[in-house]
Amino acid sequence: MRRLSKFGVIIGAGLLAAGCTAGSGSSTGGSGKSTGSASTNSVLTISNENGATWTCGFSPFNSSDTLVSVGFVYEPLVYVNPLQSGATTPMLATAWQWSNNNKTLTFTIRNGVKWDDGQPMSAADVVFTFNMLKKFSALDLNGIWSYLSSVTQTGSDQVTMTFNQPAVPDFYYIADQTPIVPQHVWSKIANPVNYTDSNPVGSGPYTVNPCNKNDITYTANKYFWQPGEPHIKKVQYPAFLTNDAANEELANGQAQWGAQYIPSIQSYYKAKSPNYNYWFPPTLNVTLVPNLTDPQLSNVKVRQAMSYAIDRSKVSSIGETGYEPAANQTGVVTPTFSQWESGSAVSAWGTGYDPAKAKQLLESAGYHMGSNGVMVNSAGKQLAFSVINIGGYSDWVASMQVIQQELKAVGIQITPDNLTNTSLLNDLELGKFQLGYWEQQVFGPAPYYELSAWLYSPNTAPIGKQAATDFERYSNPQTDALFHQYASATSTQTQHDIMNQLEQVMVTQAPVIPVVEGVDWYQYDTGSFSGWPTAGNPYAQPPAWAYPDNEQVLLHLQAK
Amino acid sequence: MRYALRRTGFFVFTLWAALTLNFLLPRLMPGNPAEAMIAKFHGTLTPAAIRALDVLFGVNTNQGLWSQYISYLHQMATLNFGTSLAYYPNSVSSEIGGAIWWTIGLVGLTTVLAFGLGTLLGIVSAWRRGSRLDSVVPPVFVIASAVPYFWVAMMLILIFGITMHWFPYEFGYYVTTDKPGLNLTFFQDVANHAFLPALSLLVTTIGTWILTMRNTMVTTLAEDYVRMARAKGLTGRRIMFDYAARNAILPNLTGFAMSLGFVVSGAILIEYVFNYPGIGNMLLYAVNSADYPLMQALFLLITVAVLVSILIADLLTALLDPRTRTAG
Repeated sequence: MRRLSKFGVIIGAGLLAAGCTAGSGSSTGGSGKSTGSASTNSVLTISNENGATWTCGFSPFNSSDTLVSVGFVYEPLVYVNPLQSGATTPMLATAWQWSNNNKTLTFTIRNGVKWDDGQPMSAADVVFTFNMLKKFSALDLNGIWSYLSSVTQTGSDQVTMTFNQPAVPDFYYIADQTPIVPQHVWSKIANPVNYTDSNPVGSGPYTVNPCNKNDITYTANKYFWQPGEPHIKKVQYPAFLTNDAANEELANGQAQWGAQYIPSIQSYYKAKSPNYNYWFPPTLNVTLVPNLTDPQLSNVKVRQAMSYAIDRSKVSSIGETGYEPAANQTGVVTPTFSQWESGSAVSAWGTGYDPAKAKQLLESAGYHMGSNGVMVNSAGKQLAFSVINIGGYSDWVASMQVIQQELKAVGIQITPDNLTNTSLLNDLELGKFQLGYWEQQVFGPAPYYELSAWLYSPNTAPIGKQAATDFERYSNPQTDALFHQYASATSTQTQHDIMNQLEQVMVTQAPVIPVVEGVDWYQYDTGSFSGWPTAGNPYAQPPAWAYPDNEQVLLHLQAK
Repeated sequence: MRYALRRTGFFVFTLWAALTLNFLLPRLMPGNPAEAMIAKFHGTLTPAAIRALDVLFGVNTNQGLWSQYISYLHQMATLNFGTSLAYYPNSVSSEIGGAIWWTIGLVGLTTVLAFGLGTLLGIVSAWRRGSRLDSVVPPVFVIASAVPYFWVAMMLILIFGITMHWFPYEFGYYVTTDKPGLNLTFFQDVANHAFLPALSLLVTTIGTWILTMRNTMVTTLAEDYVRMARAKGLTGRRIMFDYAARNAILPNLTGFAMSLGFVVSGAILIEYVFNYPGIGNMLLYAVNSADYPLMQALFLLITVAVLVSILIADLLTALLDPRTRTAG
């Protein structure tokens, strides 16, 4: 007993000592534990789960680094706001002019802009950037040189671009999505494709100081061309490996700007403080994709029946816990693009959820209800399909279960096949599926961008070859002609007329079936900072990863 | 000597088999890295951009499988693991180098601690067999080892982190306020952050050590030489440590050597729950992003570490226990 007690004392003392140092460590180890310290330091902390540690590379042409470099360090020529019908804000360009039937675009470059190493920025840097993308096609993330012919400097502050076809809708990619880099740095790089760019030199509001793999610290760029900006002198961007960690930082106030999917957001986040807010602007449709080469799915009545059979509001409330609103068959995301909605297309579509009409359509296509509750045609073919889905997205899996039930009610049987992100995309691209569930990644300031991804035939490929975005293999020369007309349209009225016709295509041909509207996850803390984008003031796309919108948010924010 | 040679030969053979399997497995997985990149980020992607990514990653190479295998073996031999695809353009070795110290630190130290404490508790429990200590400690920790360690981790986070604010529960250190460096503040910070993960691992792994040590001790204590030592009047503590424990510890020691090999694989779930930047998390990310070079390097690291530790365990047994030498 005596011997044991001695051991017990030794062990106990050891643990106590460890506990003591650890306990004292927590009180000395840094601030950021309460919202109070965050506001007095006015350091903005971003909560966006990246899934991995940072590489500390900031090349704006490396697609995994763009979200930490563009908007913070690098800027584009013009900011185009997709949430306000493409409202423009001049950034590195002060003016622009279309000419020659919308095949020539001339920019006037802003004077007095400096790079963050003190060197002046000029039109030569713009010309250099665009021509570098031509020289190294791996850097041309948006494929602009497929329609761009030349970029030249025409005057001390003028840059002229010529296109091989009218290119008004491509203004978004040229002016908003192309970051401008300094010639005096990048011309010295032999192979910019491998260039890490760990000390980026840009014209934007922040510089990187420093970066380690767990956290990026941005400090204000003292040479920034907007006087007094940025108001927030320091921004932290920790590398979150898991969603839960990122959500927790938002809930306890250590991060103020979130781009997180938070289940039960009311109780987990909003209820913790009256300053916590969230807004989920809808952006792109989450869509049921039929493979149009399938003999049964090629029948438009079958596809229309599917669209009528799905109760989208139920999918939204059960599958997406109400975060993502119901979509409509026109493919226009509302309320973001409500002004593009065609009244005639909407009325042609009718009420939306109509299982009786769905059954009618199937019967008129030659199907009758079989003994097992699945519709079958005279040749004995059943309306039974497999649908590929992303198993890791629990909300998509739940939505698919609701869709499955609703389709079964009209006699269509679908069997979900849950895959990983990469397998699903691979199968969609090669056409190895019957039905698929997917959200396009192509966002822009009008529904044109998403619809062209789905419907414009150069975006597709035969089965077995890689299709870019038109996975259902839709190809219709009249629809292609509409897209060409839109591109050469000289007035917004013409654009609206063409968009109405495209919506009619969506409604009458039902090439894809939008189910719910995907949203941007966005949380913000008004206790420490003001100037956030809100539903009432959507001056930019709100999440921290949206570039170059994040620059607009950073420039609007002020410490309280 | 013959024993050592045989064991080393076996080690080389298993290493080769592991390397070949390591080469084949990622290639049998569906998907390719360019797709993973496209699926991962939120931006715009035109057909031209997808082609750009394919060019970048050299995915659709026309090299045959056999020539790929030869170049793979050559790369493994020269420790050239290539450029990571998920962490492009950083090299695989630099990425692993950054993360591995966190894993070795956390899991390594916890394993050593668990072994040390567990063995000690096992020895004492066996010596005081039937006492209150013996009736409570081994059963409690054996039950604890049956509980999934990530659940224990989450409970600890909930109680000590979120509710009581005693310990931090995310990252390896305060990433927004602290800088890594060789100073006391940083070490305190790291220890602070490592406390909860280490505790969850410790609590769930110590049970095995206690039990095996106790059981082998009990068998050893029934030996004649222990009774002889007692009759000769040696103190209890001397018999316990210098005679009984020294012989009883052999199975535990080889088990310990092997578990050190597994340290490198990291406790993926611990790192996931605590957002700890170790290589467990990195492996998960590499698999999800179809980052072949990184995956291969990590699998190789784990396999080699385990094989080496098994070899060491075998040789250690031969060294410490003469009976294996004559038998083998």
